[in-house]
Amino acid sequence: MAWLFVAPTIALLLAINIFPLVWMIRLSFTSLNLSMSYLPLRFVGLDNFTDILTDEDVWFRLQTTAQFVIWSVALQVVIGYGLALLINRQFRGHSFWTTIILLPMMLSPAVVGNFWTLLLQPQIGPFNYVISLFTGVPPSSFSMTGQVSLAPWTIVLVDTWMWAPYVMLICLAGLRSIPDYIYEAAEVDRASAWRQFWSITLPMTVPFLMLAVLFRAIENFKMFDMVNLLTSGGPGSTTELVSITLKRAAFEKWRTGYSSALAIILFVTVFGAANIYVKALNKVKQR
Amino acid sequence: MSGSAVAKSGVSRWFSRGPWEAGAMTLIGGGIIMLVQPWSIDLYGYSFVTILAGTIGYVIVSHFPE
Amino acid sequence: MTAALAKSTAHSIVEASPRSKAVAGSLVILYAVITILPLLWIVATAFKSQSDAIAYPPKVIFEPTLEGYVNLFTVRTRQTPDFIAKLPPPETWYDKLVRQRDMVIAGPSKVVPRFVNSLIIGFGSTFLAVFLGTLAAYAFSRFRIPLADDLLFFILSTRMMPPVAVAIPIYLMYRQLNLTDTRLGMILLYTAVNVSLAVWLLKGFIDEIPREYEEAALVDGYTRLQALRKVVLPQAVTGIAATAIFCLIFSWNEYAFAVLLTSGEAQTMPPFIPFIIGEGGQDWPAVAAATTLFVVPIVLFTVLLRKHLLRGITFGAVRK
Repeated sequence: MAWLFVAPTIALLLAINIFPLVWMIRLSFTSLNLSMSYLPLRFVGLDNFTDILTDEDVWFRLQTTAQFVIWSVALQVVIGYGLALLINRQFRGHSFWTTIILLPMMLSPAVVGNFWTLLLQPQIGPFNYVISLFTGVPPSSFSMTGQVSLAPWTIVLVDTWMWAPYVMLICLAGLRSIPDYIYEAAEVDRASAWRQFWSITLPMTVPFLMLAVLFRAIENFKMFDMVNLLTSGGPGSTTELVSITLKRAAFEKWRTGYSSALAIILFVTVFGAANIYVKALNKVKQR
Repeated sequence: MSGSAVAKSGVSRWFSRGPWEAGAMTLIGGGIIMLVQPWSIDLYGYSFVTILAGTIGYVIVSHFPE
Repeated sequence: MTAALAKSTAHSIVEASPRSKAVAGSLVILYAVITILPLLWIVATAFKSQSDAIAYPPKVIFEPTLEGYVNLFTVRTRQTPDFIAKLPPPETWYDKLVRQRDMVIAGPSKVVPRFVNSLIIGFGSTFLAVFLGTLAAYAFSRFRIPLADDLLFFILSTRMMPPVAVAIPIYLMYRQLNLTDTRLGMILLYTAVNVSLAVWLLKGFIDEIPREYEEAALVDGYTRLQALRKVVLPQAVTGIAATAIFCLIFSWNEYAFAVLLTSGEAQTMPPFIPFIIGEGGQDWPAVAAATTLFVVPIVLFTVLLRKHLLRGITFGAVRK
């Protein structure tokens, strides 16, 4: 009986997710190239995997991705947690302003990447002018998306603009889950505000913070849409995240066998991380 | 459920989930670090096998009794 | 000194002092204003003329015009002033506006079909995902299903996969099935992604509904399906609505699958907007107009969803 309710969902996921996945595993052992699909399917064993795992270029792209993940998540944690602490003071009108702050994360990442290219144009965009207002650097002397030294920070900046509210929202839930009597007891013990933060607030919000960090890290590890439109991996390959490499191999060079192998490496990585994420999720659920 | 009240036998202690799960998670985490670290291409080369082992291991040990 | 003491004790310990509230409030408002400025700039750009939009330095004060919107909805051709002078007088305000730029309207642009695609694919996949999700969530909530945790994890993990990696085999499969660049193909794909969120969220909502009502209904001779429809669904209606909005937002915003698997017929707004081209590169007022129209529903949804946002982004784990 119960199976009748679950079966349609499982059937859909088998058809749209699992069957293609199994097919892709098979293809990852072949040298299929869709631009030369007239060639007979040739099995090459683990060649695609050894190619990728000895290829310095792919390795560099993964490092670029990791740097993007680390910096953007770190910034989002600092800003998000800070905002959550401030909003938790429950000043007047806090719910209105919270909604305003939440808006960026609800938008389409692709559309965000696209309109930030306008904002960041060296001459016609307002961003450089605002920077020059505060620093005195001429606005057309630097390009946030076109300069090797700045482009990696640009994607971190836009991602943080978009997702700091996400971390804020989860941290806020963590702060609100702390019962008042703990602080009252601390107050009786005359613990300083600083001490209360380190011995009560922070430890009790860590599970929530973990949840936010893991989710944002997974999401940014597979980041494609926003960066593809903002810098499309450039200049050179300074912002070429591994998803962009994958898209080029699969949908521009049409190296299906090779890109299937890379896709599986990313799959397994995300799947492993997702296991840890769900564990964190269940930990929070028990609270 | 009823087993938990009884003192743990050697076998069930051997298969208790906690440490195994922690081990598998360490393997996954370590593998991911190997995949993205900028120092050694050899470590990078073995990263995928490590993550794969950790992930498969995790799926198995998460079915061990609590 | 004593006054300060009295003041601090008069307040509840966990309640912040008025001064710290004011400081916190102004910092948050400052951040909110900075964070909303990029969006406001885009909304403003939609009302600029082409030359104001790419003015150097950027213009904060400008004369508003609807040119961006007109350009978004039309295809225009450039003509000589002589040719335009010979034409019969313009029939509509937008004809007039276009002719001032030495152009005539050649026809409607593709934005309306793309918008319709977004709507059809969004609502289609949302409906399917919520329908399937409700059934599955009910089963996970009320029955003992063997390996339930594994199934739930499997369902969730399908959502977390990198979209570009998923698109590779889907592309091959859809080519065989002739589903590439069709609305049906996109609806099925988005349903598969959304159903995972729907199951997790709805399971949380249904878990909160006491079982007693249904059990009473079952005793009264209702079948399971009747009990679900007549007893559970009415109580889960807010949860279902919130879940549906989340699914809709995902399909509405999705880009990676859309850009890799559609090229025309079934293309949605996100891959279309960046390629609204004017005479010299991107037509920014038109792009901004499209962005504005595209974002307005999201703003409304965010306001509607405020209370359920947290649940949505944590797959139902954090409830309040």
